[in-house]
Amino acid sequence: MNYTEKTKLIQTRAAALLEAGEVSYVLGWGATRFADKTRARFARSPEEAATLVYNEHCTQSLAKYLVDDRWPETRIAILARGCESRAINRMIRDNQIRRENLLILGLPCEGTDAERCRSCRAHDPVVYDELLWEPNSTGAAAAAELSRYYRADAVDALSAAEKKAYWDDVYARCIRCYACRNACPVCSCRECFVDMHRTGFQGKRHSATDNQTFGVTRAFHVGDRCIECGECERACPMGLPILAQTQKILKEIEALAGDYEQGLDAAQDNYLGAFDLDDKDDFM
Amino acid sequence: MSKVGVFVCHCGTNIAAAVDVVRACEAAKSMPGVVHAAEYKYMCSEPGQQMILDAIKEYGLKRIVIASCSPRMHETTFRKMLKKSGVNEYLIEIANIREQVAWVHDDKEKATEKAIDLIRMAVAKVCRDEPLKSQMIPITKRALVIGGGIAGIQAALDIADAGHEVTLVEREPSIGGRMVMLDKTFPTLDCSACISTPKMVDVSAHPNIRLLAYSEVAKVEGYIGNFTVTIRQKARYVNHDICTGCGACSEKCPAKVPSAFNKGLSKRPAIYTLFPQAVPAKPVIDKDSCIKLKSGKCGVCEKICPLGCINYEDEDMEFTEDFGAIVTATGYQTADWAQMYDEYGAGRFPDVIDGLTFERLVNASGPTEGHIVRPSDGTEPKTISIIKCVGSRDPKKGRAYCSRACCMYAAKHARQIFGKIEGVRVFIFYIDVRTPGKGYEEFYDKTREDGAIYVRGRVSRIYKEGDTLICQAEDSLLGKQVRVKSDLVILETAMEPAEGSASVAGMLGAAVDGDGWLTEAHPKLRPVETQVGGVFLAGVCQGPKDIPDTVSQASAAAAKVIGLLNKNEMESSPMIASVEADKCSGCSACEAICPYKAITMGEQPGREAGGNSKKVMRPIAVVNAGLCQGCGACTVACRTGAIDLLGYRNRQILEEVDALWV
Repeated sequence: MNYTEKTKLIQTRAAALLEAGEVSYVLGWGATRFADKTRARFARSPEEAATLVYNEHCTQSLAKYLVDDRWPETRIAILARGCESRAINRMIRDNQIRRENLLILGLPCEGTDAERCRSCRAHDPVVYDELLWEPNSTGAAAAAELSRYYRADAVDALSAAEKKAYWDDVYARCIRCYACRNACPVCSCRECFVDMHRTGFQGKRHSATDNQTFGVTRAFHVGDRCIECGECERACPMGLPILAQTQKILKEIEALAGDYEQGLDAAQDNYLGAFDLDDKDDFM
Repeated sequence: MSKVGVFVCHCGTNIAAAVDVVRACEAAKSMPGVVHAAEYKYMCSEPGQQMILDAIKEYGLKRIVIASCSPRMHETTFRKMLKKSGVNEYLIEIANIREQVAWVHDDKEKATEKAIDLIRMAVAKVCRDEPLKSQMIPITKRALVIGGGIAGIQAALDIADAGHEVTLVEREPSIGGRMVMLDKTFPTLDCSACISTPKMVDVSAHPNIRLLAYSEVAKVEGYIGNFTVTIRQKARYVNHDICTGCGACSEKCPAKVPSAFNKGLSKRPAIYTLFPQAVPAKPVIDKDSCIKLKSGKCGVCEKICPLGCINYEDEDMEFTEDFGAIVTATGYQTADWAQMYDEYGAGRFPDVIDGLTFERLVNASGPTEGHIVRPSDGTEPKTISIIKCVGSRDPKKGRAYCSRACCMYAAKHARQIFGKIEGVRVFIFYIDVRTPGKGYEEFYDKTREDGAIYVRGRVSRIYKEGDTLICQAEDSLLGKQVRVKSDLVILETAMEPAEGSASVAGMLGAAVDGDGWLTEAHPKLRPVETQVGGVFLAGVCQGPKDIPDTVSQASAAAAKVIGLLNKNEMESSPMIASVEADKCSGCSACEAICPYKAITMGEQPGREAGGNSKKVMRPIAVVNAGLCQGCGACTVACRTGAIDLLGYRNRQILEEVDALWV
């Protein structure tokens, strides 16, 4: 099935849902004035449903928009690939959205033209109400061209001095626009720590050190819940390798605790945020 | 700015010798917010406290800083004092200039500077302190005692005698624990059963005690004063309401299995009482060895029972009860030496036995009626070797601790042997002999006078030569290898926490140390309390000890329980987590991380974040004041920083840190 046929399926289903009044809007992608770019589109009527598109340029993960409408009066339909569906699971676990408010239209995915999609091991949605087409039988994980932790692996290969230079360069370029935070589907605080104004040594300056404080804190706030969608990097206007940090945290957790992947179901605990008497404590 | 008073204590010369207290006091006077500063020799004394109270009146002080010893020592003292003065007792900070300054530094100049820094930090924090108010929590006036050994029995009797209801849970079919297995007790050599069985009878006859033998604790919920405990009564297959304990069933039961109570020296039937003086004196069927329950054939006990007590359909039964306090008395087991000591034969030699087996052997009510014989051939041993510290004081075997009672029971074993076998030779291999206790050293002296030969050295190997066993060791006083031909070898094995005590601790939320012993709240000043409010420790579950210490500790734990249950309600500490509902995103990270299950997510009316600010019902973290211990785990788990610890708000701590950068 090609993208034109898939787009047609999406438009038809969205129009039917809106026609029947089952959902207040369908969250999908729409065209922009650039042929190789799409952006999120909220289709609120059968007519608008005809403007939804689906192609290899749909690099944006849509899930984060759900937190802007946490208590909808009517259900919301969302187009969900592997990345959106895992984000939805994690957001449900974090009590940010409720499953009953969503009609999830599952889209088995074959990757977009974004680099991170080539490391994706979860193309097919893990939670959905209906699938709009059958999953590609070749199996998504086998098709991953890049290793799961490709960014972290690259940094791990550096010497200590090289690592320092690498991160110094990253944080010299960071403009601390917080786009990575805003785009991240598991970032859900009502008031972010970086928005709290403090004085003294907690005050904020535009310096590499303070940029780094933000970056590292952000990584630890989301690291063990990261569903690896790469929205942080997509949103970054400076093109910084932000995924390297969360990938590193996931990689370390996996080394400690074995298989670890977030968002696979809505009841999953995150490793650093749970307490158990059997927790590994041989380092003490 | 608040009116802060600073009071610097000399602590005799404890502080004054290492810190220039007068200079520290002068420096405090110029700190922001401070309107009065004074120093005194003993601030905690009556005149010291009066001085502070007078200053509060004279200068209208609103907040107090005391530079003295650790807050663990006297914070409560000064809080009580403040309560009298009308100032909220939480508007006080202690600058620890004794443990953290005077006792650890020699350079008076620098120590004084550090003391001034600490005082400045305390002043900065006290200015941000808020008045706190504790809540009153109701108390269920019933106690649960887990474990029916001598510790549990003593604790239960003491609490019950004070007029409170007690439930005593014991997993074996009878109470009595290890003590009833013993023959005699040191240092008086009186009969163990004679002094413990009357107490067991007292338990069963006491109107305030409910005895639940053959039962286990399955689940513990709640908090101090308000525990809800699920107890599992194991299937007994015998109706104890009708059973008179006549014993006919046990006599006729065809199944025979090694008796754990007699350490395998004899056999017991599948329907059995643990020992003749058992309490309750009614049998249970061990379902793993009962022929009827395993294969469906047999049914002898059912036929023989004149009252029709037997019920093969019996099942485990679970029920819940409410308690205000819990005493843990889970006791010990002896270390499984055979697993650890290949050099002692790892259990291949029947004549190498452990101390508890010897107790059964020498016990008049034991399988040999008190005759000391070799398990291998039933002959009387002429030479006996006793080896101490088996499994203890040996980090290579996994246990560094001293098992504490072994030196004394080894000496006791020697004395018992001398009393029963004419012309016997007894060798005792030891590392050290430790006899602290009333009458203990005298007992040890008498043992040597009686002829026990003490050899200083750890036995490196036991091997067989013909019929006898050879204990090989280096006598470290002679500096020579010695080999002792022995007919019987007794290993005085270490105590280790009873199986399952870790899971009991887990259910209670109480901590265990590296060896598995339950941890007391403070090793010296709170030895029978745990860090979990309302959970107390009695006996060996807290660490190896002998019977006198066990009984004292059990009574101490009982006193703590009685003190708690005598109140109708209790004050909870107000220094607990507090949620700022507006900031809480309801992510439940705090709920998952809380070790005390003190946080739940409650649906509450609130406003949605962001511009539209719609009124919604949303999940917000709720802290249970009774359960929260103020550990602060949630405050760091909270990504938004919506949770703060009252008395230790982030703002207060940062204020302290800021004060260092002056």
